[in-house]
Amino acid sequence: MSLARNHYRIRELLHDQGVIFCYSGYMTEAILSGLGQAIKQKLAIEETDANTARGVFSVFVEQMQNIIRYSAEREPDMKPEESVLSYGTLTVGRNADNFFVTCGNKVARGDVSRLQEQLALIGSLDRDGLLALYKQILKGETPEGSRGAGVGFVDIARRASRPIEFDFFDLDTQHAFFSLRATI
Amino acid sequence: MENIRIERTDRTPEVNFDFTDNRFALRGESYPEDVPAFFGPPFSALEHHLKGLQTGQVTFSFEMIYFNSTSAKVVMKLLGLLEETAGRGVAVTVNWCFKADDDNMRELGEEFGEDMETATFHMCPTDK
Repeated sequence: MSLARNHYRIRELLHDQGVIFCYSGYMTEAILSGLGQAIKQKLAIEETDANTARGVFSVFVEQMQNIIRYSAEREPDMKPEESVLSYGTLTVGRNADNFFVTCGNKVARGDVSRLQEQLALIGSLDRDGLLALYKQILKGETPEGSRGAGVGFVDIARRASRPIEFDFFDLDTQHAFFSLRATI
Repeated sequence: MENIRIERTDRTPEVNFDFTDNRFALRGESYPEDVPAFFGPPFSALEHHLKGLQTGQVTFSFEMIYFNSTSAKVVMKLLGLLEETAGRGVAVTVNWCFKADDDNMRELGEEFGEDMETATFHMCPTDK
């Protein structure tokens, strides 16, 4: 297959799923800033409802920072003055009624059950329950058993218009692949 | 205590801490690369200053457009500190300013404000 055809196929695959932005590779805080500005601009041009646009941006930031901080695939020998390079994939897209922000990254298999527990707990809560958990974590009073549920996930769940979707599969003996989708 | 004035950037808010007049403000967006590095020094200075106050008036204005979940921890700590200061008899006013059409910032104000028992918490929608 020709270079152009092959690349077009990747583009169409994303396009068919409603993807507007896609980034796959090493993520840094500078990329977060740049992509974030572009997303804001695109949503503004399309005259997206202001509250929806704020929600999409906010979920984008939380997912990017999750990858930067927690991806198990990262360059190990960074000097202190260099940015962390963490590998992950993030897409922002739109279907008929909603926007979605989806991310994926490698995690250690040993962390899967903890993440699953956290996300299942978050998924089981209604708005008041999410607010209570959000405040508990912000105040540093994380409830017993949740082992420091990520405030980022709770924030995403509060912004999303339906429960967060998430999934894992094992890649090898050490790593699993984790993906999360929020609909706004 | 020397006043603190930090200019706003794309990812960090304007910090305006006037220790002479006891008027404090955060304005803009907050999703710094390193939250403790950004907020640590002004927060410590404010904490030190407020702990020394027994009387008088303090006004803190939040004029935020957006803050991420890590910055929310700082907002929560600031509100805790202000409530504690009010509990010692200082007249503390918190202004929670937000764009009138920003449902999320309004909700956050309502949610954070309900924990403020002694400090006065004002919701201030703006047209800007």
